[in-house]
Amino acid sequence: MLLISCPNCGPRDETEFHYGGQAHIAYPENPNDLSDREWAEYLFYRENTKGTFAERWVHSTGCRQWFNMLRDTVSYDIHAIYAMGQPRPDYPADQASAPGLAPGAATPASSATTPTSSEGV
Amino acid sequence: MAETATPAETANVDHVRAARRSPGQHLAEAFASGSVPGTVTLTEIPYQTMVGIRVDRESDGGARVASLTGGLPAACGEVTGAGSINSLWLGPAEFLVVAPEEAHDSLCGSLVADLTAALGSDPGQVVDLSANRTTYELSGSRARAVLEKTCSLDLHPRVFKAGTALATELAHIPVLLWKTGEESYRVFPRASFADFLGRWILDAMREYASPEVP
Amino acid sequence: MSADHLPEHPDFLWRNPDPKKSYDAVIVGGGGHGLATAYFLAKNHGMTNIAILEKGWLAGGNMARNTTIIRSNYLWDESAAIYEHALKLWEILPEELEYDFLFSQRGVMNLAHTLGDVRESIRRVGANRLNGVDAEWLDPQQVKELCPILNTSDNIRYPVMGATYQPRAGIAKHDHVAWAFARKCDELGVDIIQNCEVTGFIKDGDKVTGVKTSRGTINTEKVGLCAAGHSSVLAEMAGFRLPIQSHPLQALVSELHEPVHPTVVMSNHVHVYVSQAHKGELVMGAGVDSYNGYGQRGSFHVIEEQMAAAVELFPIFARAHVLRTWGGIVDTTLDASPIVGVTPVENMFVNCGWGTGGFKGTPAAGLTFAHTIATGAPHELNKPFALERFETGALIDEHGAAAVAH
Ligand SMILES: Cc1cc2nc3c(=O)[nH]c(=O)nc-3n(C[C@H](O)[C@H](O)[C@H](O)COP(=O)(O)OP(=O)(O)OC[C@H]3O[C@@H](n4cnc5c(N)ncnc54)[C@H](O)[C@@H]3O)c2cc1C
Ligand SMILES: [Zn+2]
Repeated sequence: MLLISCPNCGPRDETEFHYGGQAHIAYPENPNDLSDREWAEYLFYRENTKGTFAERWVHSTGCRQWFNMLRDTVSYDIHAIYAMGQPRPDYPADQASAPGLAPGAATPASSATTPTSSEGV
Repeated sequence: MAETATPAETANVDHVRAARRSPGQHLAEAFASGSVPGTVTLTEIPYQTMVGIRVDRESDGGARVASLTGGLPAACGEVTGAGSINSLWLGPAEFLVVAPEEAHDSLCGSLVADLTAALGSDPGQVVDLSANRTTYELSGSRARAVLEKTCSLDLHPRVFKAGTALATELAHIPVLLWKTGEESYRVFPRASFADFLGRWILDAMREYASPEVP
Repeated sequence: MSADHLPEHPDFLWRNPDPKKSYDAVIVGGGGHGLATAYFLAKNHGMTNIAILEKGWLAGGNMARNTTIIRSNYLWDESAAIYEHALKLWEILPEELEYDFLFSQRGVMNLAHTLGDVRESIRRVGANRLNGVDAEWLDPQQVKELCPILNTSDNIRYPVMGATYQPRAGIAKHDHVAWAFARKCDELGVDIIQNCEVTGFIKDGDKVTGVKTSRGTINTEKVGLCAAGHSSVLAEMAGFRLPIQSHPLQALVSELHEPVHPTVVMSNHVHVYVSQAHKGELVMGAGVDSYNGYGQRGSFHVIEEQMAAAVELFPIFARAHVLRTWGGIVDTTLDASPIVGVTPVENMFVNCGWGTGGFKGTPAAGLTFAHTIATGAPHELNKPFALERFETGALIDEHGAAAVAH
């Protein structure tokens, strides 16, 4: 069971969340121009990183907001939690300054300022 | 707002009331016999008026809605309200307004219509969710102990204060959990889970009916 | 006790050779699929100067972590063909490999709990029959007769409304299957090299010419990837992508019991699948963890949900104890069908994407993948399972037959 720090609600059990797969996949700018190969890449191909992975989660039982997370797919350690639309933080380089570090770090109070939106890539 | 009801309206209200079956109604007797007065009691508060609001609280529409509800909560856990109308935080732009049964438009109230009018044509939504959930009230010195059997949030009064409400899971189902007093909680399960959760809580209360093993 | 007092070690089933400088073909991954591929390469195609490279120990991946369910009742023609061929091979393999790996055709039931399930199941029974797969529809009464410990009353949240049943389906002892293939491979001259991790590939332009390993560089004419959960990692080393996501999948066993459960019961809806293994332990599979993972372990809540489902369907299990739980890493595709065929890298071939259900496919994967590697072109049976289907759109959606449970 992962303990995930929702940027809005603080640390909650994994069962309150749903997984959204790889983060930062942009909808093609000109869908009509894509080749079959490019469509396949957009629809079916996702990174399957062994190591630090940027992924989306939604706090479905709580605030119903999406957010991004950097997580190690081997140790399952959570390295950073950041808002939709924000670029992927460096890890480990930026470790100390990453927003919402590891479970427990983000409290509702401190995260009230974290921008959240369901837009972005 | 509602004026004094006409006889026709009163007749309609009685009709509506008589037709209603609350999601936990069939458990009323079990709740009564399973409760241990002074230690832990479980009752259903049926038919509360509940209205789902989606609006940016910083916007004009948000401000107009807030003026009717006595504010809108700003962060997770917060409950705002004036008197019998309270608003629970569900998300950064999502709230649940909870009011007594009589506030409902079908019973000569006008809460849903008033909120709809307040939002006007601004971005957002006002949805009557009164039939979506029922309310269980769990209270007494052991109420917290009962909840702690299934809730993974920290319910210690140091952390979970009276006047706070959280969306979370109890017995694996999604609920809203509102701490209304030092020893009383309101739990809002969706209607289809009400039977399950009611029985689950009853079962969790059972041990408190027996003398404590020293 | 000193070493003198220990009994003789039983016969070793295979040598533990050092890697040679070069091979005609190298198979990456010593699970069931790697072993079966090497076996058919040697047996059907006379390729015996080949090696299986396994980073850990033989069958230490999903091969000896799965719940061993074997069946062929898949919906689409392409799937029915390859899984049914596998089932026919399972029927003759104990004799061919001269190893009784306890293949037990005790039947598999797939329960239906909703009207949607019922319609989908009956449709699948029809499709199966057209494809020569032995499938039947059972009403709740017949379900109860076949498996008396199943709760078929309507006092549960999702009552059993019927089941599909495949009598020729069943289970086998997975580690014995691996040993059976390994012994035969070894006899045929295949080098099985354990503790040998592939860390990179040597390429000449678009063509692979060798593999880098933790035990040195090995030249090879051809490479076949059979790395299951690690397929994406190897593809990345080789410079191409796979539409695969790796997820943890868990299973568990109880302590040993008297025989109580005569068949195999699967429920995709409440999500549990149960059989009773030969020694008497109840073997149950869970669902995948939702997130990508390579940790060979999953979350406890997944096990908890699975146990809740098991106890509701089999009230008698409330008295059983969980002895062990474990996880494997499964390689899932978006259409719940495998990928077996050529890759963008010349002389490199891939067999992956069997996800939560590749044990049953082991013999057919081996047969068709060996054919593909040996001839450079797919076998009739794996032709539809090419990587290019994600571009052409000719997907083979088996989520209904597969769900997560296999
Ligand atoms: C809990 C669980 C239950 C399952 N239940 C069923 C079931 O009931 N029925 C069914 O049909 N299927 C089932 N499956 C699926 C089935 O186990 C797999 O689809 C199948 O085993 C995959 O093929 P394999 O045996 O070759 O995989 P594996 O045994 O995983 O073999 C892959 C091998 O590649 C090796 N490897 C990886 N990277 C490298 C590298 N760089 N260098 C060298 N070697 C490497 C790994 O160590 C591993 O040994 C289940 C799986 C799990 C995890
Ligand atoms: Zn949240």
